[in-house]
Amino acid sequence: MGHLVTSVAPLPLQGGGLGRFIDPFVQFLTDITNLEPVLLQLLAFGLLLGGVYALTALGLTMIFGVMDVINFAHGIFLVVGMYSVWLVSETAGISPFLGIPIAAAVLFALGVVVHILTVEPIIEAPQQNQLIATLGVLFIIQSAIEIVFTPDPQQVELSLGSVQVGDVFIPLGQFYALVIALGTMLAVRAFLNRTDLGRKIRGTADNRDGARYVGINVRRINYLTFGIGAALAGVAGGSIALFQRFDPFTGETYLINAFVIVILGGLGSFPGAFVGGLIVGLIQVFGGYYLPGTTAQVLIFLLFIGTLLVKPEGLFGGAEA
Amino acid sequence: MSAIESVRDRYRTFDDRRYAPLVKGVALFGLLAALPTLIEIDVAGMEIAALLSLKVLILTVIYAYTAQAWNIMSGYTGQFSFGHAAFFGVGAYATQALVVDFAVNPWVGMLVGGVLAAGYGLVIGALSFRFNLQGHYFALATLAFAELLRFVVTNMSELRGANGYFKPFPRDYGAEYGLVAFQFQNDLPYYYLIVGFLLVVTLVSWLIKNSWVGLYFFAIREDERAAASVGVPSFRYKLIGVAVSAFFTALGGAYWSMYFNTIRPDTVFALFKNVELLLPAVVGGPGTLLGPIVGSFIVTPVSEIARTTFSDINGLDRIIYGAFLVAIVIYSPRGVVSWPSQARALWNRVRGDEEVSE
Repeated sequence: MGHLVTSVAPLPLQGGGLGRFIDPFVQFLTDITNLEPVLLQLLAFGLLLGGVYALTALGLTMIFGVMDVINFAHGIFLVVGMYSVWLVSETAGISPFLGIPIAAAVLFALGVVVHILTVEPIIEAPQQNQLIATLGVLFIIQSAIEIVFTPDPQQVELSLGSVQVGDVFIPLGQFYALVIALGTMLAVRAFLNRTDLGRKIRGTADNRDGARYVGINVRRINYLTFGIGAALAGVAGGSIALFQRFDPFTGETYLINAFVIVILGGLGSFPGAFVGGLIVGLIQVFGGYYLPGTTAQVLIFLLFIGTLLVKPEGLFGGAEA
Repeated sequence: MSAIESVRDRYRTFDDRRYAPLVKGVALFGLLAALPTLIEIDVAGMEIAALLSLKVLILTVIYAYTAQAWNIMSGYTGQFSFGHAAFFGVGAYATQALVVDFAVNPWVGMLVGGVLAAGYGLVIGALSFRFNLQGHYFALATLAFAELLRFVVTNMSELRGANGYFKPFPRDYGAEYGLVAFQFQNDLPYYYLIVGFLLVVTLVSWLIKNSWVGLYFFAIREDERAAASVGVPSFRYKLIGVAVSAFFTALGGAYWSMYFNTIRPDTVFALFKNVELLLPAVVGGPGTLLGPIVGSFIVTPVSEIARTTFSDINGLDRIIYGAFLVAIVIYSPRGVVSWPSQARALWNRVRGDEEVSE
């Protein structure tokens, strides 16, 4: 069960002393004053990674915001998206880009089924029950993938290369993922604001009982929300598969960061998820460069705890999704 | 019929007797103590031990213990913690760091770990309760505090980073195998030791439940504002709940580190350790004394037996485990220990219907 950080290389053991906390920041400030070109490159990587992180958080923030359910299966939904894209491009020879909508469709169906079988019966039960039920779903899907596709890492055969803008390299796989992330975010926002169904979903998020009184079928909204949330995970996973190797356990790292982003940005807030994703992406890239080992993750959790305590409604809390 | 009723009446009056909890406790722990012998009995030509080995029993009681400790905070005061791996890991790390690097006896290290964990729990509690975190937010905050420690320890060379600690031999810290060294050469003493741990934490839970402390805890769980309005100092009592729970969870971590050979941030602080530690309480029935113990005897063996039975297909055991988790929260949201009373209610209803039809 401890696969979470297997992807993180064992850190080089650093010397003790306070220097290791101060030196990186001194180095960082020196680089800024010297206008080191590496900063621009890190910024580009951070923004690219952040965009993808934002996309991974969208589905989670939607399910959390509308249904008040912590969906632990979200990480494995991402992984199903990755495998869907990989599978259609490997077997059917379809472009991985066309695989992404297929992944979304697969995940929508899976999300609705999972919701009806596991979340729906206990939607009114204490919250820990939903948490454990979605955790059970995580185990089932994860192991099923492990059995069918082996635990070995897979990769979508796609060499997109990179472009150079000035001194900055931009890997195209990640760039396309960012474009997809932005496009999806705008599309979902338009759906929530402009369509009848979207308004019903937002209404249910605001006030479940009120929604029921005005004749909204809350049950239907619930499974549609869960399905859309899962479909968003499919798009996110499919985009990640464009530039990264993955295995059945890849989802766990993304899941934790997605929680951080959801809280950081504010429950159910899409702009919040975007900004939160960028913040986490930037911390990870800059932290990974300047700080030893996985210390950047410590910063991310400190930020997370700080946000929870001081502004639990998030940076964009109260703002409309 | 009348025989059944007289037995039932006898049982009901027994429940009211002062010595009833003592008798029940002795019966329960007598059963636990007899289990290593019982599993060697042949049933239909097969030893139970083939399925339920002593190792599985130890693991089962460890999780019964941690769930009982978790229950004090989350079951009684209703503050759902999803980050008890923090306390578990602190206990394990304090014990190992002290015994490996300073040759301090593990029992001392265990208590140091308990105090450190209680301190960390107080920090978590003071911050979260002061800022009034509730529900999902509180659960996520506790999870974040646990994950924070995992990454801090992973990046601290002083605590051996990601490699963790190897348990030393007793002679390395000037002791011999036995209770003082916290190490034994076979599993049986380990089993009785963890049953002893479980006895202590169950006793503490019982004392809390049957005192005004418990009364305050349950009042906070049911309606915190109402409790506060009649003068329950809810902030202080929630902190007491966290500290006691964290202390005992850390002792469980210390035991874990002395039973298994290695500890790493990825094992004792693992994301899913948070779940494993509390799961028996939720399955058995949060807030009850018996729930964590019964729950662990349901959850842990299922996972272990599935693992050994389906070892040829890697992962099938976790599918079964996952399906089991889903089924149990859907069909038994109030925990397994509520089954007898539910069955009784059902029985009464069926009988009542018969009487009407007659």
